Amino acid sequence: MQSFFQTLVSGLSFGAVYSLIALGFSLVYRTMGLVNFAHGAVLMTGAYLASTFYLSARLPFAVAVPAAVLATGVVGLLIERVLRPLESKDVDLMLIGTIGAGTVLEAVAILIWTSSGRGVPSPVRAAPLDVGGVRIPVYNLVVIAVAAVTMVLLTLFLQRTKRGAAMQAVAMDPEAATAVGIHVGRSNAVAFAIGAGLAALAGSLASPMLFVSPTMGDSLGIQGFAAAILGGFGSIPGAIVGGLGIGVIGSFAAQWFQGYSDLVTFVVFTVLVMVRPTGVFGEKTVNRA
Amino acid sequence: MNRLFAARRPLGLAALAIVAWVLPYRLNVYWISVADTALLFALLAVGLGLVMGIAGQVNLAQVAFFGVGAYGVGILTTAHGFGFWLAALLAMVAAVCAGLVVGLPALRVQSHYLGIVTLGLAVAFLDWVTNAPVTGGDSGLSGIPTPPLFGVGLSSQYLYYYLELIVLAAGLAFGYFVVRTSLGRRLRAMRDDALAAGAAGAEIRVLRMIAFVLASVYGGAAGVLYAGLIHYIAPETFSIADMFLLLAMVIIGGRQSLWGCVVGAIGLTVAQQELINLAAYAQLGYGMLVVAVVVFAPTGLAGVPSRVRRWRLRRWSGISAAALGSFSGVPSSGRTGAVLEVSGLVMRFRGVIALDRVSLRAEPGEILGIVGPNGSGKTTLFNVISGLYRPSGGRVDLDGRVISGSRPWRISHHGVARTFQHLRLFGNLTVLDNVRMAMDRTRSWWSWRYVFWPVGVWRHERELSRQAGAVLDAFGLAAFAGALPHSLPYGIQRRVEIARAMASAPRLLLLDEPAAGLNGDEQRQLAEIVRAIRASGVTVVLIEHNMGLVMSLCDRVVVLDSGAVIASGVPASVAAQPAVLEAYLGTTTLPSEAS
Repeated sequence: MQSFFQTLVSGLSFGAVYSLIALGFSLVYRTMGLVNFAHGAVLMTGAYLASTFYLSARLPFAVAVPAAVLATGVVGLLIERVLRPLESKDVDLMLIGTIGAGTVLEAVAILIWTSSGRGVPSPVRAAPLDVGGVRIPVYNLVVIAVAAVTMVLLTLFLQRTKRGAAMQAVAMDPEAATAVGIHVGRSNAVAFAIGAGLAALAGSLASPMLFVSPTMGDSLGIQGFAAAILGGFGSIPGAIVGGLGIGVIGSFAAQWFQGYSDLVTFVVFTVLVMVRPTGVFGEKTVNRA
Repeated sequence: MNRLFAARRPLGLAALAIVAWVLPYRLNVYWISVADTALLFALLAVGLGLVMGIAGQVNLAQVAFFGVGAYGVGILTTAHGFGFWLAALLAMVAAVCAGLVVGLPALRVQSHYLGIVTLGLAVAFLDWVTNAPVTGGDSGLSGIPTPPLFGVGLSSQYLYYYLELIVLAAGLAFGYFVVRTSLGRRLRAMRDDALAAGAAGAEIRVLRMIAFVLASVYGGAAGVLYAGLIHYIAPETFSIADMFLLLAMVIIGGRQSLWGCVVGAIGLTVAQQELINLAAYAQLGYGMLVVAVVVFAPTGLAGVPSRVRRWRLRRWSGISAAALGSFSGVPSSGRTGAVLEVSGLVMRFRGVIALDRVSLRAEPGEILGIVGPNGSGKTTLFNVISGLYRPSGGRVDLDGRVISGSRPWRISHHGVARTFQHLRLFGNLTVLDNVRMAMDRTRSWWSWRYVFWPVGVWRHERELSRQAGAVLDAFGLAAFAGALPHSLPYGIQRRVEIARAMASAPRLLLLDEPAAGLNGDEQRQLAEIVRAIRASGVTVVLIEHNMGLVMSLCDRVVVLDSGAVIASGVPASVAAQPAVLEAYLGTTTLPSEAS
């Protein structure tokens, strides 16, 4: 039972990171219908920026992370600008275009930081908490707390601010939004920048738990995407549930199947998608002739 | 001009074959190994082009098919002592099985969902080969034997080049044979519009699986050849980065053209070898190239000549509506019309009742008009009859046989054809191919002929072309046979859609607002066409808002309001009923011809 809870705690911490990644995917998707396969590479960029600010510029972690989030948001704006001609056109082309953008980011990261990767020491040095025999690293609690606060802030932004409401409107009907005077292009750009910022946050929070390397985004990006789909693509509560779900599945898979955790996670994911393609919170869509 | 191209093509192919054949004499040992790798990537790319470019199925697991082929040979030859070719055969079977597994999700999800699922499965495969003892884990498998051929060991990279060249040539020839004929046409139609393809008789699910199987055959073959060439395999060869590189080859070369895939594969392989010490710059380069291609030239390098040609054609001639011939009667199909009987049909969408116990009947040789205000359930009714929706209650019978609840392709094979309110022509198929696709009445299992009886495919194709030519002639569309639908004026596109529907020799024709967007002249021609279709014995049901047309054309009219039938009968009597006037027109005066 103890080991069960231990695995659960580790699953939930990674799940919080996956939720943040999924949130970025979902936000961009619901606003502009773009499936951002570069999300993993954006996350990697954010992780590198944060670790550079933290390790090389010797900024405190709590400053390095927001700085990286802002800088990555700018990178997101850049990508959105390049891919703008594809928006609301061919979905498959957009998918491929973002894969290309991800490849470029990865190459740039190799050129700047080399392909060898780096470890980031945990910014929290306190000893793990002991709750009934289950050891909980303090840093994991920080990650979960930051993720939770971010989600609350994002929800408030979407529901309580004018800009957020405009983005919701664009998500529902871009044409009607244009008709009432909302600048769709700007709304999309903001969505993309926030999505990139969320990825950077996820990447920099994950870097002390993982290893920062140019390919770290591959696996994290796919897991986060799987989380977004599992919860229901485009749904914010879905992203949270999906992220925690994938985190827990992955953690137990690692516990029970050792090295085969990716294999198990993705086979389970494939089956889940086939059983319920719209995810937990997704809406059913109907073919229109 | 086209004839000129046709005459040049065999010459070009012959020249290319000679160049490919003498190339090894000009290459040193280093470059021949590059050439060997390039040909393998070309084979992989052709497979990816078939599934993504031709069939429109996002497949990010092509590299896993490659891996299954390579590991299949590796495991069977090193651990079980199989001969190379027997191992190769079994590895191909394994690759096809992998293709079926990866294709399975395509039955439920499409586009980005399919992308992430296939990518996930590729990661799962990679995870397996990195961990399993049988695959040698991280260190991989070594000591894979060289394939013998007629007693000669192909240990020389030069000889191996020819083996690969022959396999690639055969793969390309087969690929083109598929793309240009019945099966490929269906795959392309499915890519352009899966819904319309289903309604025209294509078994979408089977076609998706066929697409993945084709991809896995090419991937598996490339894997087998790779194992025999390198003698050593390890997980890093089948990584996600290589998947994206392969994708870049296909996109840059042109995913809808098999030649484009080959050119992209060879070009990128050579460029990568040239930049082997600058790998990150190479990656930067191809990444930017992919972005540039999808933004500026979505059809890739292979699409450039046709874009230039189309641009020039538009400059000096263009397609004019004047070339539209007159309609000269419906080619007889030898089939008679069917009785459509709709009884108590109910369709609910999450609480919204779109159809409320609708019952109606249409007889052979009759034109039944369905009218009603927007949102009254007319198109929903058509969608249920043609199988796009499964009704929540009630039934639809065709000649006494229940068709409701069947899949669209099955209903099409029962003899139901339809058009759509918003045109749904296959955008990247020529007018002739749009018609040939619908005319093709074979089932998907008929495709076994591609492997075992190609002559049969070829004969079938000639027959299809002859009949499709006759349909185009009859509808006065012969001048546009080679045109893409969107290059034609709207009215002509509408006529193409009717011609496509009639090409399947239906017994029941459903026309959804056929007059929408037509001018007065075109409406008169439409009425003439619909009457001729009735005269040939086909049952016609049409939805129309143009009351003048409905009054003059239809034998009987059914009025829907809020999903329920509120009146039916001959046009004049229906139009006089107060309930109809109130529901449909909102006034008590008859509509004028002005609409």
